[in-house]
Amino acid sequence: MLPEAQLVPFPDSPSRPLDGVRVLDLTSAVAGPVATQLLGALGAEVIRIETPWAKPRNPSSALPHRTETPDEPWNREPRQNELANSKRSVALNLTTEAGRETFLDLVEHSDVVLENFSPRVMGNFGLEWDTLRERNSQIVYVSMPAFGKSGPWRDRISYGPGIDAMSGLSWLTGYTDGSPLKPGNFYCDQNAGLLAALSTVAAIMARCRVGGQTVELAMLEGELQLIGDAMVGQQLSGREPTRIGNEHTSAAPHGVYPAAPLLGNPDSWIAIACRDDVEWQALLRVWRDDAVRADRRFATGLRRWKHRAELDALLRNWTECQDPETLAERLQRAGVPASAVMGPRALLRDEQVQARQSVGGLDHPQVGLSPAPQAAFRLSRTPAPPSSAAPLFAADTVPAMREILGYSEKRIAELLQSGAASDRLRERP
Amino acid sequence: MSNDAASSPGPLADIRVIEISDTPAGAYCGRLLAGLGAAVTMIEPPAGSRLRHRGPFRADAPDLEGGASHLHLNRRKQSLRLDLRTAAARRLLDAELADADIAVIDVERRRWDEWGIDPDSLRRRHQQLHVCTITPYGLDGRKSDWRGSELTLYAAGGYLRIGGEPDREPVKAWGEQGHLQAGLHAALGVVAALHAGGEPQRIDTAVCDALAFLLGGGYQHAWFHDLDPVRNGARLVGFGPGHLYPSTIRPCADGWVHAHCNNRYPEAMAVLFDEPRLAEPALLSELMGRADEVDELMAPTLVQTSRREMVQRAQEMRIPFTEVLAPSEVMADVDGHHASRDFWQSTPHPRGGDYQAPGPAVRFGTTRWADGSAPRLGQNNGRLGTPAQRARWRRAGVA
Repeated sequence: MLPEAQLVPFPDSPSRPLDGVRVLDLTSAVAGPVATQLLGALGAEVIRIETPWAKPRNPSSALPHRTETPDEPWNREPRQNELANSKRSVALNLTTEAGRETFLDLVEHSDVVLENFSPRVMGNFGLEWDTLRERNSQIVYVSMPAFGKSGPWRDRISYGPGIDAMSGLSWLTGYTDGSPLKPGNFYCDQNAGLLAALSTVAAIMARCRVGGQTVELAMLEGELQLIGDAMVGQQLSGREPTRIGNEHTSAAPHGVYPAAPLLGNPDSWIAIACRDDVEWQALLRVWRDDAVRADRRFATGLRRWKHRAELDALLRNWTECQDPETLAERLQRAGVPASAVMGPRALLRDEQVQARQSVGGLDHPQVGLSPAPQAAFRLSRTPAPPSSAAPLFAADTVPAMREILGYSEKRIAELLQSGAASDRLRERP
Repeated sequence: MSNDAASSPGPLADIRVIEISDTPAGAYCGRLLAGLGAAVTMIEPPAGSRLRHRGPFRADAPDLEGGASHLHLNRRKQSLRLDLRTAAARRLLDAELADADIAVIDVERRRWDEWGIDPDSLRRRHQQLHVCTITPYGLDGRKSDWRGSELTLYAAGGYLRIGGEPDREPVKAWGEQGHLQAGLHAALGVVAALHAGGEPQRIDTAVCDALAFLLGGGYQHAWFHDLDPVRNGARLVGFGPGHLYPSTIRPCADGWVHAHCNNRYPEAMAVLFDEPRLAEPALLSELMGRADEVDELMAPTLVQTSRREMVQRAQEMRIPFTEVLAPSEVMADVDGHHASRDFWQSTPHPRGGDYQAPGPAVRFGTTRWADGSAPRLGQNNGRLGTPAQRARWRRAGVA
């Protein structure tokens, strides 16, 4: 475990914005689970509907088993632990008539169905919008296809990083002298998840006026909002925008410079941005290099930008032996935007992260205290950090059938016996 | 599903928003709320919001009405031009806020007192008002008064660490993704507060938190294994040699493809590339650990094949390859996908002619996503006071 890191459990929130809302979560991969995780933190009761044999029994990435509980590696998979917090877990086999009927009974008692299958899949289950609406006219049905439910690319398959490529964002991201790079690991997915959560809450608000409705969030169209200025800009200028790495279009210095190891990690850097003369003068007050101060190449903003390669080389010499957090502190005190390039290890011991609980702890029954980030907003009266660690697989199958659906014990036993529902991980039939 | 099928006003049709913004964060938050149907009014200083000063512009001629960021992010908003340094302008702002549900503020904190927009005093004066602030580090904690730029906040939020080549400095994604993500988080916080009802809330949003959120599962590796992610070039950042591969960008005959193999059919790659070694058990068992070898095995086919053909072949086998498209190629839309969905919206440019702007972020079945034009600076000042008052305010530099 990381030395010096502090992980304070998220506090209970007595009142959350979506208290009383129930969401049926049919999502997989990243985008959909991010959406429902956010809705769960906002207070919705999110029920993950999982295939009874959905998980590998022994994932190589399983987190350490830290508690006096049965050894169930499938309940310690990191991705699940990350994306299923604030949710419950119900296992249903939707390819059986009884499993499908149980799901539709849940629809009658729910507010939202959210899925991110390829467009054909809900139809294959016999769970199209008309069927859902027939059972509950107030249901909000959110789908998150990669490219949309219509159009020539409707049936193309892609994960988020492939959509980064189709949106133009990968083409634009990278070093000035390099080839296209991903904008992040699952950037498109997380963006789509946030947009889907936003749209879902909006659709719930509109129910009093229009009842239930469909919400289609095409991941590609969600990401195109983030580079609309590039698209509009190239129409106005007639030029293709280019990769500019960490550079500013008109100011310097503006980059990422080497620093002394942080937390023993030699991959250590500091970001410094001087956007105007005031910030440049502030940098010089800390840098205290008379030669740089007197150098006519750096006398004006335009000259600094023209000679940014030479300026960056001098700055690198100055930063490379300095502790990045200490240097950032000094630069900030002088009025220069600067920060050490943090990473998860540094953030877990960062006092700002701790003060805002940007990352907090969730108590998982099998792995113990486990870190999770919360959304970037803090609501003053109805705080909404993640509410619970990821559920154990299928732990809520029987309680949901009993408490939400009011099924008899006999019926529950039949569903479990037939495999239409499951209260444990099963082998693939 | 076309947005045309949706006929009712947006979910936020009865919500009024006042946006006081200098960065893409507040502007995007306002744009999303406007898209969802809210009436959003920007309060701009006499020189216009900073976003108006950003190019590119037509013929590279700076134009407060014609910058790309303004034309994209300020669509379907109104604009009041007020000099909040004057008491009279602050009274006009108060009159607007008295009818509003939400204030979205991302201007620097040092201006809050001078402009009369400190969140606590706003909420005292307007008890019906939700106040959403978007600041670099949030309102709490020792760094709450630290300065932040897009680049330094990328560093502070940790997301910078995973971008770029392992043997070079980290590199951030293009544009101002951190600020845009913060705007999106803020919009979610706003609608959540509206849905919660009851007493209005303060919605304190931090740009660096939006970036820290993106690190997702990275915190578990740090906490349980004392590991930081290592930059991986165009490859997905993964832990351990067993991580799936490829998910990477590779050169081909006419550009680059995003090569991705999902976890169901790795063996299909051997067929796609006519290369049996791609299905060898030793390779499949540690795909990420032998990524260089996988790249080498794909290369002969890739260098002889166009993006389009490579993607078509892969998709026919249900392998999720995609083309890496430049912005002009996205707009060219050779397959007609965007056109078939009426995505790009033809929008009048304030100096004549049209430009194409992104359409709906989301398509509702019943309630309509709302698009429109970006306002001219002070376009809606006509709604303030009487003609005589407006003339007086103009002379005094108030409005």
